[in-house]
Amino acid sequence: MNLKRQLLLVSLLTLVLPWAGYQFIHETESALRRGQQQMLAGTARAIANSLSQYRDEFPDMRGPDDTVGDQLYGHRLETRPEIDGYFDDWTLERESLRALPGVDGPIRFAVGVVDEAVYLYVEVSDRNVVFAQPGTIAPDDGPRFADRVSLINTTPFGRNETIGFAAEAPGQIVAYVQNEFGFRSDPTIRAYWQDVPQGYQVEARIPANKLGTHLGVVVGNTASQLETPVTSPSFAARTPGSFVTPSSRLIEAATASAQEGMRLLVTDTFGWRIGFGGDLAPASTEPVSAGSAWLRIAYDALVESGADAALAQPDPAGREQQAYITTALSGTESVSWFRSPESGRAIVAVAAPIKVDSATIGAVVLQQGTDEILSLTNQGLVRLMNFTLIATLLVAATLLGYATWLSRRIRRLSVAAEEAVDGDKLRNTLPSASAGDEVGDLSRSFSHVLRQLGDYNDYLRSLASKLSHELRTPLAIVTSSLENLDHEPLNDASQGYAARARDGADRLRRILTAMSEASRVEELMEHADPETFDLAAALRSTVAAYGDVYSGRKIQLETDLDTAMMRGSPELLIQMLDKLVDNSVDFTAANDTITIGLTTDERSRILTVANPGPPLPEQMRSQLFDSMVSVRRGGDDKHLGLGLYVAKLIAEGHRGTIDARNSDNGVIVTVTLPGENDGE
Amino acid sequence: MAKHIAIVEDEAAIRDNYAAAFEREGYVVEAYEARDPAMQAFDVRLPDLVVIDINLKDDVEGGFELCRELRARAAELPIIFLTARDSEFDAVSGLRLGADDYLTKDISLPHLMARIAALFRRLDALQKPQSPDGSIKRGDLEIDTDRMSIHWQDQPVGLTLTEFWLVHAMARYPGHVKNRQQLMDAAQAVLDDNTITSHIKRIRRKFIAIDTNFDAIETVYGMGYRWLAD
Repeated sequence: MNLKRQLLLVSLLTLVLPWAGYQFIHETESALRRGQQQMLAGTARAIANSLSQYRDEFPDMRGPDDTVGDQLYGHRLETRPEIDGYFDDWTLERESLRALPGVDGPIRFAVGVVDEAVYLYVEVSDRNVVFAQPGTIAPDDGPRFADRVSLINTTPFGRNETIGFAAEAPGQIVAYVQNEFGFRSDPTIRAYWQDVPQGYQVEARIPANKLGTHLGVVVGNTASQLETPVTSPSFAARTPGSFVTPSSRLIEAATASAQEGMRLLVTDTFGWRIGFGGDLAPASTEPVSAGSAWLRIAYDALVESGADAALAQPDPAGREQQAYITTALSGTESVSWFRSPESGRAIVAVAAPIKVDSATIGAVVLQQGTDEILSLTNQGLVRLMNFTLIATLLVAATLLGYATWLSRRIRRLSVAAEEAVDGDKLRNTLPSASAGDEVGDLSRSFSHVLRQLGDYNDYLRSLASKLSHELRTPLAIVTSSLENLDHEPLNDASQGYAARARDGADRLRRILTAMSEASRVEELMEHADPETFDLAAALRSTVAAYGDVYSGRKIQLETDLDTAMMRGSPELLIQMLDKLVDNSVDFTAANDTITIGLTTDERSRILTVANPGPPLPEQMRSQLFDSMVSVRRGGDDKHLGLGLYVAKLIAEGHRGTIDARNSDNGVIVTVTLPGENDGE
Repeated sequence: MAKHIAIVEDEAAIRDNYAAAFEREGYVVEAYEARDPAMQAFDVRLPDLVVIDINLKDDVEGGFELCRELRARAAELPIIFLTARDSEFDAVSGLRLGADDYLTKDISLPHLMARIAALFRRLDALQKPQSPDGSIKRGDLEIDTDRMSIHWQDQPVGLTLTEFWLVHAMARYPGHVKNRQQLMDAAQAVLDDNTITSHIKRIRRKFIAIDTNFDAIETVYGMGYRWLAD
């Protein structure tokens, strides 16, 4: 993985910023909500305490048979509905209607309370409405029958009464009250029978003082006058259940207790809403715009999910059944959290039990609307999100740019260092040398190392000539002494030794001459006057001469060129050829053929010397032409690896190149020299 | 009368060896290890021939100084540099100061003796009137073998002993290729290829200084050199 990718990866760490922002908001949010819930819970507790003084308002008269299903809830209506058989002027939702199974379809009904009147609305699905006859309008015990709605109630005096609603024709009808004393029509009860396509609807108003503590609705549906009606009662027990109505005093108390923006509900032990007051404040902030889809996602991630806000609404049927209220009714204070994704509104709700002598007689539900995000406005959050996003991108881009710059510097340095080592340019200044940072240090260290390497190379290069120079004087002492010794009388043995010493000194001299050859060639190169000459002709002459010198090898010239003019020093180039041929001869066996080739292209003259000798070791190829490097194994003492170095000096002195490589059958040395016009 | 040879050489072993060799040949030898004692002695009496090392102990260029002072005093005095320094630059400097020959220390004693003898012979020849026997004429080239001097188009060419012998070897048989070994033998020296190349170059340059159209010395690549007959 390169530096750029590494830094890019590191830059991903800046994503911690939005994450930390998220964590911060989330924590703040939770803390604030907890605070609000606690505050609300405290208020709810206080209200619950104060409401315990209204214990009489909490219905506790229920008998053991009184079950929730049998109880009837009287909704508090805000206006008096007109008695016309229609539900639309009731200040209730249709969801408030309670359903009973009927013979021809569902039966729906509702009971409402306004001031001192109780209203009844019943709609019955009936395929065949059987109207009453004069004889069947009041009694309901046969032998003839009619479709009828009955209100079973316990009177304030504890008697059981049935108020029956049957009609001889649609329209205003008369209600008949039946008790143990018999029938009588009751003019204080107003009722209306409305025919509708799927059946009929009955609406009635009964003075509240006619009704007692228990109430039930029974719908009787008969197929014909002669058939016994099938009844659909609102209660399962033999007698009706309790009639629960909101208490005026509780409503008053609740309205007084509820602070601005709060909704207060009071329930009895079954959850029936018997008191309420106050309302939630309307949403104070703009709804989240549809364009900010990602903001919506952020909100959802940010805010603890709550139940749907619609569930916080008072139950239309009058009975609060939310889990937190149920929990409160079992004696434990409880909180809940609702939110509406669409409107950006949230509701904090608390339910506290109302206790009298450690018995729970009901619950107080306190709800408060709030902005979805308590800690910040929407704009604040958007800004935070945008800033962190921009910061992240900025940091990533900066790091990327920085990494690119840094890796380019390092790459340039490494390329320059490699070039310096490869191309003998050890003195060149490396890039970033003046930079004050670590790359600069690295560059300077490199330069230092390269300089030392250069010094060492120079030392090696001059070693041969220095050595030969220093050895020349002691050698002169040896040779002159030996030559003087020749003139002294020596016995045979001494003469033998002297002759051997002379041989040794002679060899030493040849070695020294070879060692100083490189520096002499360099010197010659400096003073050489380049001349224009015909390389092809020079080669022909030279190769012809080689025949005499190297009688054990076949040396041939292969070229299609008649002339190959170039500028340079022919003596030196021939000397270079001498070295290459000499080298080839050393590597080949008797009667091998050494081929010298000459070709040209537009810019250069290409001279090759090919021999069928053993291949070069690959790792030595680049050093082959260096001073005092010999790939030869075995001890040929006059060979110091200077021949090819001299050849290289001459080739490079002519601004050419020299290279050796293995071919299919041996080794080829290629010298590329600039052509006639490319010379100096 | 025996000839006097002065050796100025800081290396005692070489000095003594050369002195022994010269004495064996019948010369009178005076050996000095530094410039000052040598000059003091030369103030009293000039030798007939001086062999000088360039590097005299701490006096790195002492030989050159000595050569300059001697040449100022005696224009005809044969001076030979005998040194370990084999660079072209030193050789050119030494010859420019008026030395008759510049030899490196790998020269063998017999070769050195031959050169010294030749120098004395030339000195003697200069004293006598010119004899026509001792001269070879090849077109524009005229070689006086006794005086070891060469004229080109009747103008003297200032050649060193080595150069003279090389030209002499080539010009004696014009058209014949002289290989390096033959040239080395003729020059009484052991020279490597590059030294011969530079000698030939220098010879050509000296002729060209007189005659810009000079091209009598031909390089036969791979073999050697030859003097072209007209």
